[in-house]
Amino acid sequence: MKHNKLQDVLLVLPGYLVYTVFMIIPLGLCFFYSFTNWDGISKNYKMIGFRNFERLFQDASFFNALKVTLIITVITVLIYNVLGVLLAVVLNRKNRVCAFAKSAIFVPTVLSSVVVAFIWSYIMQTDGGVINTILGIFGIPPVDFYDSPTHTIVMISIIISWNGLGLFLVIYMATLNTIPPELMEAAEVDGANSVQRFFKITLPLMMPGITINSVLSLAGGLKQYDHVKVITGGGPGGATQTITLLSVEKAFSYNRRGYSSAIILVLFILIVIVSVIQISITKKREVEY
Amino acid sequence: MSTVAVSNAKRQKIVKRRIGNFLIVFFALVYLIPLYIAVSNSFKDYWDVIKSPLSLPTAPTMENYKEAFHSSNILSLYGTSILITVTSVALLVLITSTAAYIIIRRNNKLCKLLYGFALIGIMVPPVVTLVPSIKTLSMLGLMYTPWGLLMFYGGAYFSTTIFLYTGFINSIPVTLDESAYIDGANTFTVFFRIIFPLLKPCTATAVILMGMWIWNDFLNPMYILGSTAGKTITLGIYNSIGAYTSKWNLVFANVVLASFPIVILYLCMQKQFMTGLTAGAVKG
Repeated sequence: MKHNKLQDVLLVLPGYLVYTVFMIIPLGLCFFYSFTNWDGISKNYKMIGFRNFERLFQDASFFNALKVTLIITVITVLIYNVLGVLLAVVLNRKNRVCAFAKSAIFVPTVLSSVVVAFIWSYIMQTDGGVINTILGIFGIPPVDFYDSPTHTIVMISIIISWNGLGLFLVIYMATLNTIPPELMEAAEVDGANSVQRFFKITLPLMMPGITINSVLSLAGGLKQYDHVKVITGGGPGGATQTITLLSVEKAFSYNRRGYSSAIILVLFILIVIVSVIQISITKKREVEY
Repeated sequence: MSTVAVSNAKRQKIVKRRIGNFLIVFFALVYLIPLYIAVSNSFKDYWDVIKSPLSLPTAPTMENYKEAFHSSNILSLYGTSILITVTSVALLVLITSTAAYIIIRRNNKLCKLLYGFALIGIMVPPVVTLVPSIKTLSMLGLMYTPWGLLMFYGGAYFSTTIFLYTGFINSIPVTLDESAYIDGANTFTVFFRIIFPLLKPCTATAVILMGMWIWNDFLNPMYILGSTAGKTITLGIYNSIGAYTSKWNLVFANVVLASFPIVILYLCMQKQFMTGLTAGAVKG
């Protein structure tokens, strides 16, 4: 069939123009800057080869940021996906109790990360915070969530999970709905108990949802910025900085745009590698029925 | 004997279900505690928050809201956020749905190439392009303007949105548009009159997902809008709360003012949120 070429072009071009100018070119520039000593202001900068990357791998603050980012990613991915799958299975009934719980868990998802971080920084205060007030009622001595960076990061990971769980739950529940009920009934007739049904039927058939959710949660964890920025600002002394926080600080507070680009490039490569590995693992486990 | 056994088993099942329901409701209520804390403390005065953070306000006051409303200039923050979110989402839906349609339906070498090209950005988090975008946006005179942020989002979420649309268009039978072409309709008419309305579930997914991400975004507006081009609600709240430090009663009033419309929107459109989020993403 003949189609009007001009109309085709008019439909495709605007999108690709925006995409090229505001995504592809900046992406290319990020690669380019990471090999320069650009400071963001001066017109003159020069190519310095791999020096930014050499410096990066001797930079203790980078390795600390990498550690912090990985802790946050591991904890949030586990909570989102393990708790997400379990809650989806538990709440997969059509009654008011389940509907209420589903909406309740989804409410924080629509809140901005800044709002969530402010509420929780009040709750986790050492003096007069809600957690410690409640612990005090039971005679338990107050917990200091800021006594070590690891403590703080674990707590922040839980806060991030509280904020985002709803989205993952909804995607898992939608995936559950695609499983034909006859399969479950047949397994029940064949004498499979509920644990067997979960591991042999539900979980394998939920793989498409698990693929989407683990990619979303991994990328979300690796690029974490907002909650940490509001709750600790990356402190004390950069101890709770994530990779994104470190790179933004280098770019805008120290005007080391070249070095900052190198940090962000490493993050990007990390996300690509992790996602590719992750997709190839879960895709293999997806089953047809 | 047997009837007793049956009714026992039945009773056991009912008790089990009751305990299950109780645990579910308990979990949901615990999940909502942080929101209860924020809302209840926003109606207390400073000392009441310190003395009894967990109780309901004994003498509810609107003072915090009055002060927050004036000092944070909430209405103008909302204006900026609504303008940026609505224009960005509309731009994304328009440019990706049209491009996705041609790429999927024409199915030639160039289109396959364009499809692959579009997917490059899918794993690029917006923060990767933030620093270099400051350079490109300045060159185009868009830096420190809402339009700059709009174009930034257009680039940043192009891949994700076109990915949603291409998947969805693939599931619409080609015969539908072919018969329209035979009737003499041109590509524009076929797309906007026939195909676009059919994309509604996918558009809903895109609107909700992008709308939520853009509305709640913090890092990108902070640097692209700067201090002159107005502030989004997230950014404005961050700045004004930063100034209060420990006046939690005011912090919570700000928090509630910033979240109230989006929570109401969600509660009114829950069904659309839940189904919309997944209709375009999960095969059903």
